[in-house]
Amino acid sequence: MNGPDLRGRPVIEVKDLRKEYPIGDETVVALKRINLHVMRGEICCIFGTSGSGKSTLLNQLAGMEKPTRGEVRIGGVPISRLSERQLASFRQQHLGFVFQSYNLLPNLTATENVAMPLMFRGVPRAEREAAARKLLCRVGLSHRLDHFPGQMSGGQQQRAGIARAFIARPDVVFADEPTGNLDSKTTAEIMEMICAFARRYHQTIILVTHDPEMAAYADRIVTLIDGEIVGNQVNQKEKSQYEA
Amino acid sequence: MRRKDLMRMCLQNLLRRKSRTLLTVLGVFIGCCSIVIMVSLGIGMKEAQESLLAQMGDLTIITVNAPQGGKGKTKLDEALVKRLRSLGGVEAVTPKQSLEADRIRLLAGTGNRYIAEWTTVAGVDMDTLEPLGFRLTQGEAAHRSGEVMAGEYLAYNFKDTLRPEGRNMVDRWGGELDENGQLTEFPPPYLDPMKGKMTLEIEHDGGRYTFPITVAGVTKEDYAKGSETSDGLMMSLSDLRGIWDKIQRGKKKALPYTSVLVKVTGIDQVEPVEQEIKAMGYNTESMESIRKPMEQEARQKQMMLGGLGAISLFVAALGITNTMIMSISERTREIGIMKSLGCYVTDIRVMFLAEAGAIGLIGGVVGCVSSGIISLIVNLVSLGPSVENLLPALLGGEGVRRLSVIPLWLPVFGIFFSVLIGLASGYYPANKAVQIPALEAIKSE
Repeated sequence: MNGPDLRGRPVIEVKDLRKEYPIGDETVVALKRINLHVMRGEICCIFGTSGSGKSTLLNQLAGMEKPTRGEVRIGGVPISRLSERQLASFRQQHLGFVFQSYNLLPNLTATENVAMPLMFRGVPRAEREAAARKLLCRVGLSHRLDHFPGQMSGGQQQRAGIARAFIARPDVVFADEPTGNLDSKTTAEIMEMICAFARRYHQTIILVTHDPEMAAYADRIVTLIDGEIVGNQVNQKEKSQYEA
Repeated sequence: MRRKDLMRMCLQNLLRRKSRTLLTVLGVFIGCCSIVIMVSLGIGMKEAQESLLAQMGDLTIITVNAPQGGKGKTKLDEALVKRLRSLGGVEAVTPKQSLEADRIRLLAGTGNRYIAEWTTVAGVDMDTLEPLGFRLTQGEAAHRSGEVMAGEYLAYNFKDTLRPEGRNMVDRWGGELDENGQLTEFPPPYLDPMKGKMTLEIEHDGGRYTFPITVAGVTKEDYAKGSETSDGLMMSLSDLRGIWDKIQRGKKKALPYTSVLVKVTGIDQVEPVEQEIKAMGYNTESMESIRKPMEQEARQKQMMLGGLGAISLFVAALGITNTMIMSISERTREIGIMKSLGCYVTDIRVMFLAEAGAIGLIGGVVGCVSSGIISLIVNLVSLGPSVENLLPALLGGEGVRRLSVIPLWLPVFGIFFSVLIGLASGYYPANKAVQIPALEAIKSE
């Protein structure tokens, strides 16, 4: 499971994915039959209105829930079939998360929060916190290293959140409405920061949003309506802008 | 996760809700305190009983008597002594022979000024006195012929013939009384039995015989070993036989052993050895018949007290569970975040168990330290609050009656039990925490 070969093949492969939820006596089909490939280094936007199933798809891709049918492979590993411990280990090694509501732990400082994924891996404190401080400086929070989340603005918290998502050098970073709670100026900053990180280390980003403006940052836009993929197009214009 | 990181996270979480942690710890503290104090009172009670019994006599001595006064088939003889010596759990055995005569008097002082009108004389195996646990207040054991051991209070049996009748004896109990009605000290008797020679005067069958004797040592009073240790004389078996032969005027009537004293290796050996001797057809006497029911009662009381203490610790356990459940429902989202960032389920479980265990540990340690202080205060109050009493109140000692006794195992047990209670009451909440899905992190508020 360590270091799957991600070159020359899709990082994420989704095959005939179906997810049903029982609600009362009825069964709601959230995802009908999803087939999707995301290549390494791609910034992929899953675009859809609320209720389109985009959040369910994210949960499936990140291994938060088991699918009803079909499977999800990341780097060739069928994550829907991993045990809980294997999944935790897989997350430590290969996945990063940026949440809509930042989700920093309130009783830890910015540095400690960013270092958390490394702590779960068992990296010694001095080492992981040095790495965290370096990354926090890169996202422009050198003056907020020892502040608690409650002492920071939303934009600052999300920048710490981004640092946390990237600190373990994951292969795939999932971003769920990362700018949903931010104003438009900060949104642009945050999005550019995520894209810059991804380009630099050739990481794959799965961006979930309902905002067409955000979708413009992506290389590929996957549009979801009622649990089905209705569009899967490459975003030529934006791509050229970033690779310049 | 590293153990150090787990401990730091656990501590940070405990300090987050200081008052809630403090209250929960307080519960464990009270529970641990009550267990330790209650049990220590029980132990103190038992210790007091034991010292009371020990004052009455050696608890490990069994006195063996022949049924029907030795006239039946079972006799107290040398064969029996040998047999008793070979029993398991027996430390030492001595036969005891009492001198039977019409009148036994003791004369001492210049011109036989001091006279004891009545005394008892017993012969024992002098070599076994030490292993039998006879204690001396003065001098040493008699080893030469003509040497005897005097009882601790023998001197009070002497009257001074130069003083008027009726006022010529010292009353041992006639000393000054303190405010509790206790004798402060015994008044000095007329003579010191260790100084000078004495004469043993025996009248028997119309004859009068005198034997010069020297007191080599004074024995400590111990009724388990016979009244001779209090106000009689003890001599070697051969000396006694010599006297007996003399006063029989050559009749050579055999003198049987009056009783046999058996010392066992420990209190727990008294009962089995006694059973064995009884099975041989002899009668036995020991302090066991008094000690046993007293010990049973003490144990019962101790269990009751300990049980009362345990109840409060179990209430504290509910407090811990409650606190942990509260804390987990507050931290549901955090647990989801940690899981989604790759925290192992086992780490989450250990984290919460450690929190519950730490509450138990802190409460236990503080509780045991406080119990020690409370116990010290209780003892000081009962002994009289002064600086000289500080050490006996803390450590006890010969003749010190402590209300509360904390042996070393008790605080160790108290802390261990508190941690165990903490871990046990954290088990269910920790399981709940583990079941929280990573999905909780994504759910919007």
